[in-house]
Amino acid sequence: MYPENIIASTSEGHWLAILLGVIIHFVVISVYMKGLSFFPNRNIIGIYSSVGKGTALFFLIPVLLYFLMVIIITVRAYSEIITIVFLSNTPLWAIMALLLFISTYIASCGLETIFRTGILLAILFLPLILFIFFVSFQNVDWRYAIPIDGNFQFIKKRDYLESFFAFSGGYLFLGFVQPFFSYNRKNVLIAAAVLIPFFFFSVYIPILTFGQATASTFFLPFVVAVDAININWLMFDRVTMFFIISLIAFVMLFLSLVSWKTIRIIEQFIPSIKPVYMLISLSVIIFLFCLSVPDWKDVEKLFWWNTILRFYVLIAIPISIYLIGIHSKRKNQHENI
Amino acid sequence: MNSSLQEIKDKIGNNDDFFFQRDYLGEFPVVLMAFKTLIDLPKTKKMLQTNINNPFTINKTLDEFLTGIGEVKEQDSKEAISSIMEGKLIVYLENIPKFVIVEPVSKILNRAIEQPVNENVLQGPLNSFTEDKDTNIGIVRRQMNSDNIQVISLAVGNDQKKSLSLLYLKDLTNIDFVHKLIDQIKKNQDKELNHLQDLSKILGFSPWVAISKYHTTELPLEAVQFLKKGRVILFQDRLPFALVLPSLLWDIFTLENDRNYPLPLTIAIRGVRIIGLLMTLLIPGLYVALVAVNPEVLRIELALSIAQSREGVPYPALVEILMMLVILELILEASIRLPRSIGPTITMVGGIILGQAVVEAKLVSNLLIIILAATTIANSTVVGFQNSLTIRLFKYIIVILASIYGILGIVAGMVLVSAYLAKIKSFGIPYLNLKFAKDGIKSG
Amino acid sequence: MKTYKLAAIALLHFCLLFILSGCWNNKDINHRVLPVAMGISKQDKEYKVILKIPEPHQGTTQIKIVSATGTTITQVVDKISMNMESSVDLLHVKVIIIERETAEQGVKDIISGFMRARDVSAKALVVICDEDLDEFFSKIKKTTGPEGTTLFDFFEKNAGWNPQIALTRIWMVYRSIHSYTHDVAIPLVKSGKSTMVEQIGSAVIKNGKMVGEINSDETLLVNAFNGEGIQGRIEVMDHASVLIISDRMEHKSKLIEQKPYLQSQINIKVVLLETRGDPSTKVIKKELEHLLTNRFNLMFTKFQTSKADILGLGQFYRTQISRSQLKFWRSKYYPHLKMDIKFHINIQNEGYLKTSSD
Repeated sequence: MYPENIIASTSEGHWLAILLGVIIHFVVISVYMKGLSFFPNRNIIGIYSSVGKGTALFFLIPVLLYFLMVIIITVRAYSEIITIVFLSNTPLWAIMALLLFISTYIASCGLETIFRTGILLAILFLPLILFIFFVSFQNVDWRYAIPIDGNFQFIKKRDYLESFFAFSGGYLFLGFVQPFFSYNRKNVLIAAAVLIPFFFFSVYIPILTFGQATASTFFLPFVVAVDAININWLMFDRVTMFFIISLIAFVMLFLSLVSWKTIRIIEQFIPSIKPVYMLISLSVIIFLFCLSVPDWKDVEKLFWWNTILRFYVLIAIPISIYLIGIHSKRKNQHENI
Repeated sequence: MNSSLQEIKDKIGNNDDFFFQRDYLGEFPVVLMAFKTLIDLPKTKKMLQTNINNPFTINKTLDEFLTGIGEVKEQDSKEAISSIMEGKLIVYLENIPKFVIVEPVSKILNRAIEQPVNENVLQGPLNSFTEDKDTNIGIVRRQMNSDNIQVISLAVGNDQKKSLSLLYLKDLTNIDFVHKLIDQIKKNQDKELNHLQDLSKILGFSPWVAISKYHTTELPLEAVQFLKKGRVILFQDRLPFALVLPSLLWDIFTLENDRNYPLPLTIAIRGVRIIGLLMTLLIPGLYVALVAVNPEVLRIELALSIAQSREGVPYPALVEILMMLVILELILEASIRLPRSIGPTITMVGGIILGQAVVEAKLVSNLLIIILAATTIANSTVVGFQNSLTIRLFKYIIVILASIYGILGIVAGMVLVSAYLAKIKSFGIPYLNLKFAKDGIKSG
Repeated sequence: MKTYKLAAIALLHFCLLFILSGCWNNKDINHRVLPVAMGISKQDKEYKVILKIPEPHQGTTQIKIVSATGTTITQVVDKISMNMESSVDLLHVKVIIIERETAEQGVKDIISGFMRARDVSAKALVVICDEDLDEFFSKIKKTTGPEGTTLFDFFEKNAGWNPQIALTRIWMVYRSIHSYTHDVAIPLVKSGKSTMVEQIGSAVIKNGKMVGEINSDETLLVNAFNGEGIQGRIEVMDHASVLIISDRMEHKSKLIEQKPYLQSQINIKVVLLETRGDPSTKVIKKELEHLLTNRFNLMFTKFQTSKADILGLGQFYRTQISRSQLKFWRSKYYPHLKMDIKFHINIQNEGYLKTSSD
């Protein structure tokens, strides 16, 4: 979906649009991590609560809403994509139930399990994804990359703003994992840097295969581009499916991570309920909500609403953490003197 | 007659193999008690006699003499009985309220150290553990020959005593882990111990975990290597293998004997095992998914030939594959049950006759037979029988999910299995830990 | 007791799963009909769809031809599916055969339809048939053997494909419909007398409409130009025949006063196969260069008059013409394109015999 948004937002010089997104992503991550580094071994819930109940509510409620929306949209959108791409006979609810069931199960096992599962899945599925990325250059015509000169027209486009979902989802977990995990800030930045080529490829492969004019007519440009790959020696015919399902393995993981974060926030406000029950009821509520979304247009509408929240999360959370961090550091210094 | 003597007699005197004889030890009247079936009586008596006639003992007092022949105990009928059960000789002094537990010449009730039965060794040391715990520990000491080995023995059970021994290397093993383990066993010392499920109960593992939490091995070479990696080995008396704790995922793929080959070959062999595991999990599911839900993934030539081979098969792919898988499990199970001499018959009936006939009768497709064969073969490549059982079980989950969701189901199954593996922990050490020994050094 | 309860719950779930798995109609592969080729012709406002279906029958495969008419293609397929004993699954359609008249009217809707519904793979080949489809299919049925995939093998690159046959897939046609600068050639076939299919040449498709026709020799040049690889192609001249081993191209594009100029050089490596008389290599080279240049220029003028940019020449001007102007490439620039093509021939070897060099 990311390539769709980018391709729709501008007709030439896509690299500029991607680069801007990536840079913003990097700035946000750095600020966020810098802010978090003022509070060793504390997660953002603890940080906000230490400032005051009001602050906590003010910052965490939008985050909570954002997470809920993200889960709903992801589940709904991906099950829709699955039905479009390969399971046309299977009812939507069954796919959504599967996605939610698995992510709930993983989330209920805790953060460590999520991470270890992630490593295992990476070992299993990353080679497949990389392989597909490489073979997808098969039909590429490099001349379609031209013209390269771009302008900043795209910033105002709704599609471009929506494309930020690709960046905003992942990094927040850094703020949640603190008591359980310690991480190296440099490694996180390296990991983020490794992802950059994927952003570029996912946009440029469809463009290079089809050309801008054609690519903009697709709903899922990258999927169609992968679909056009023809590998004679492979015993399987549709490589797309392998690409999508390996992506979905990671989507399940992402979902479980987000629902785990959501539960952490809810736990802060309502500590009386057992997290497992909370998780199950959360999944049921999300499932019902997903069922009540009738068609794709509504998913897009939800997506657009979520964009506002997304920018709030993208901008307000890192900066506020940073400011609180500086503030508390000064206070500490005063006390020390 | 002494009351405690009477007590012993009441309790176990009805056994026909119970041996009860009045005798004189020097000038003291004594009662000898033991099980005839457990000790070699004539030799033991002879040993006692030589002890008495020994010139050094003449000048000694009685007490000194008694400690010379065994462990002197006060009147305690309970301990006496349990010693008799363990196969000791009791020398009961009739005049003084004391008895001596004498280490007798015991009958040989153990088999000799033999070749491994459950594991095959290619170009490696061939001896294996036996039922006798002490022998096993001895084998380990001989194999390792280091002053680092620490042995801790614990007895478990009320009614029947079973002894457990923990072996670990002092400077390599995570001491926290060892303490946790010992505390846990001590806490549940009164529980019965008959099989590994009991042991799981004693160690506080949930009985519903589908993965064996111990890695078992018959081979001293493997056991020693695990010690070196900082694991703990548990010997249970009367179990001819070592239990390695904690068990990790990577153990499924590695065998120490691999390292007797050049390194590239080692890597290749392990690679084969990994492929075997993945194949077992994926192939049956893939068959169901491709035949029933997502046939577009197949190339057209393949699709046509599969369609042709399935022509006339009366039920859906899921039923087909489940049926054949169950039959296969039955064959596997039956070939374990049967005596070795009729075992091959089952293989023949199961493999050749049934396989051929089932295809001829158009009950299942040709391809399915190939897939089943591949699955079974692949399944056997992993190290440790208990692990291959686990994988066999997981396979069904993936098959069922694949029948509902096609290829998506397979991936979902894989994610589920991964998460399940990731969730399992024993004493705080995750199953997916790859560098246990390193952690051990840090904290130990 | 707790364990029994758990077991009971697990059992219940297991039963539920079994009920679920039969819940939606997933049909096993042998209950699906997998057509390999699909013929489409438009008659008045109705589509006529012909499916070529290989059917397994007691160990061998037999070909079945089914047809029906309707207002949309999906409707027709549905109709066929209704009347057949198993359901029709378009997932494995590999070749789409379009009747010539239909192609001349435009195939935009058909192609877009295939791209939208993902039943038919975007990799399926598109072919135009130069005769009545009914006749074509009935002849094919007579001449094909029992494999069932023959029609598809004819075009498959690792099977029966030849460099004279244009190789065009659905997504390429779709691209040409939307692209400003890129058109495609679609193979033009009819049923043969002794072989199953006879290749006539290629249809030139512009914006989803057939606007011209080129013969198979010209198709070869197009394939060479598009880098499809023309190895193994035998070229016959007055004095000799040669085997083309490899080709390489260099292009220089210029835009002077809104008029595009293109200088191309194609280097071809050949092996001498057969000679007539005693020509020197120089003569052969010259003859071949002359032959190819003439052929190319002839073809190119044909393209220019029909304004179809099969060679994708517009791609070379993407740096020089702004995107808004590129839209008018076909109408404004392309007809005025001056193309200067040079063939450079290298004779790699002359086989076991020596040939005089001048």
